[in-house]
Amino acid sequence: MDRLEKDEALALAQLRARDFWSALVLIAIALFFLWKTSGLSLGAHSGAGVSSAGWYTSAAVVPFGIFGALLVLALVLLGISIRSGGAAQAMSGLGLGWNPQEASRIGAIGLILLCYIVGLVPRVDFILGSALLITALICGFHGRAGRGATVPVLALGLAGGFALLAYPQQSDWAQSGDDWMTLGLLISLTVWHQYTGARDRALRLTPVLALGLPLLLICAMAFGFRQNVPNRSGLIFSKIEYTYYVHLRPLWRS
Amino acid sequence: MEFLFGQMLGFAWAFADLVIDPWTYVYLISSVFLGIVFGALPGLTATLAVTILTGFFGNKIPLDYALIALLGAYVGAIYGGSYPSILLNIPGTAASAATAMDGHPLAKQGRGAEALGLTTTGSFIGTLVGTVALLIFVWVLLLISKNIASPEKALLALFGILLSGTLMSEDLAIKGWIAGLIGLALAMVGMDPILSEARYTFGWSYLLSGIAVVPVLMGAFAVPQIIEGLRHLEVGKMIEVTGRILPNMAAIRRYLPTIGRSGVIGTGVGALPGVGEDVAGWVSYGVGKSVSAEGDKFGKGSLEGLLCSETANNACIGGALIPLLVLGIPGSPPAAALMGAFKINNVIPGPTIDPAIILRVVAIMVLASFTMFVMGLFTARVFIKILRVPQTVFLPLVMVLTTIGSFSVGGGLNDLYLMLGVGAVAYLMNLLKYPIAPLVIGVILGGLFDETFRRTLLLSDGDLLAFVSRPGAAILVTLNVALILGQLPIAKRALTRMKGRTV
Repeated sequence: MDRLEKDEALALAQLRARDFWSALVLIAIALFFLWKTSGLSLGAHSGAGVSSAGWYTSAAVVPFGIFGALLVLALVLLGISIRSGGAAQAMSGLGLGWNPQEASRIGAIGLILLCYIVGLVPRVDFILGSALLITALICGFHGRAGRGATVPVLALGLAGGFALLAYPQQSDWAQSGDDWMTLGLLISLTVWHQYTGARDRALRLTPVLALGLPLLLICAMAFGFRQNVPNRSGLIFSKIEYTYYVHLRPLWRS
Repeated sequence: MEFLFGQMLGFAWAFADLVIDPWTYVYLISSVFLGIVFGALPGLTATLAVTILTGFFGNKIPLDYALIALLGAYVGAIYGGSYPSILLNIPGTAASAATAMDGHPLAKQGRGAEALGLTTTGSFIGTLVGTVALLIFVWVLLLISKNIASPEKALLALFGILLSGTLMSEDLAIKGWIAGLIGLALAMVGMDPILSEARYTFGWSYLLSGIAVVPVLMGAFAVPQIIEGLRHLEVGKMIEVTGRILPNMAAIRRYLPTIGRSGVIGTGVGALPGVGEDVAGWVSYGVGKSVSAEGDKFGKGSLEGLLCSETANNACIGGALIPLLVLGIPGSPPAAALMGAFKINNVIPGPTIDPAIILRVVAIMVLASFTMFVMGLFTARVFIKILRVPQTVFLPLVMVLTTIGSFSVGGGLNDLYLMLGVGAVAYLMNLLKYPIAPLVIGVILGGLFDETFRRTLLLSDGDLLAFVSRPGAAILVTLNVALILGQLPIAKRALTRMKGRTV
């Protein structure tokens, strides 16, 4: 058996071990939703002013079929995994496929995206929040090896965490404390990146891209397509919007 | 003859209408350019290009212009994938994986410009072949599909999900089916279409209106790519292109039968529900290798091999639009994103679609392929420069594009949370080798399946024989059952034995 065949066999063994776990998760999901579906009426009943004719028009018929089929397929997958030796290796390092470096990379990206979507987008000026995201991702994953993402994760975590904890209620989202905090962290991270980042064209372009793209996008969305945009009361966007409607638009409207 | 004349006249009107509108060129040039850029950058795909533009243009400009932007990006991205395949030996999109087999050896022989010129011409002719097929077959099928009722619609939706699950799965076919079932399950969330009974909302009012398509598309196609692509990679050495990028007319004339055959194969594969351009490219390449007199040269820098894959993957676009427009079933993952654009514009593709939309789609495809051809020949150096942009710089920008695109479609912050959740699940599914396309197709077709399945039962008083009593439905039941049984080990062994006997 040559090296390529050995690698393929190892990858397949790992996949079958992972299939064991995924089959168990799917079985649990299917059972949970079958139980949840049993709460929907399956016989003839009246609801929302409509009388159902019988079991065959029930809202539960198709979901029962879907989750029943999911359960069957998950059991088949479990069987395939067990027969291929996946269950035996499921708890081993091979089965779990644990790679600390890869896990920390995915964890860092996951945390950054979570802080951005849950913490920054609703509460912080979109231009500042997105600039921090772009800077953090380029800074953490372009040309840095090992633990390069620690500082960017901390910056995003601090900005997102502060916004989330200091302004949890929607009524507080218009306040600017988190905007200033994000701006401070953006400047700090940019300076750190400029000093420690890989010396290439991307390094010089990062601040331009980080501020330019969100600025362009939000202006195009808000004034070009007239669409809803996140956090209109943000530190920078509120000024842009005021200037546009009070000073610029009247110029061509009149 | 009268039918053909009517078709040509309708197309001519739609084309003239498009050509005289200056906005056409604004949307077309920018979207084809953007599409080629997305295709050329390894890590970004045609599906992602169409998905992101769906978020931007889906419901913000009239559908007529949105279609120009989305189809332009689709055509551009499938073609753009050939650049890194040829110059870096890294397929820009899955669709151009087969292109690398002969494109890169040609570039190493110093014939990179010739290879790029040929792929441009092959892609152009391929798109036109697919578009002509679309113009002809869509009407024939529309006439047939007038007889399609609820049982056939339900079974077709099921067939689309099963087929895409079977063909898109890298590992076991049941993983594709499981992905399709997860998509169907997601489509069950919200008010049911017959009795308006709330399902699986867990008290969250946002879910009452069901799972929105655009955040699912963004989450399923964009987020996993962003997570996967953000790693430090040394990009391979790019081969310098010397000389002018021009079509080699002698080679085109010589390989015209190959181009025609690849165009037909690409269109046919594209017309299969849920099967995309990558399959078309490989099938055409495989057929070309086995029937060509130069088959032994495939993989060593064969011009014929290059034309086989590039013509087929672009011809697949027209093919993929046939089931989308006729039946409302996307023929490929980017077509699923297009379906999302139709959905948010309240246009229901299928037998009741406005014929003007079909003619406009055909006219846009023709104009988009011309634009792609001109750009490919005259601005290729720009795209070669773009190849040098590392994905670690480009993907953060894609994340911001995805966020604002998803936010502005309608659901606001809730759509973003949904996108992130679907993205996390899709990334895990990718890791475990579950295909994502069947999930998205399941979400898109789930509502149709639920409604038509129950309507059939309602009209037949719960008699399940309604699914086999009509000839069309009986054929579809047979196909669905055959598709499932064909994956059983016993059936596979029997097929292998039969093949062994015939060889």
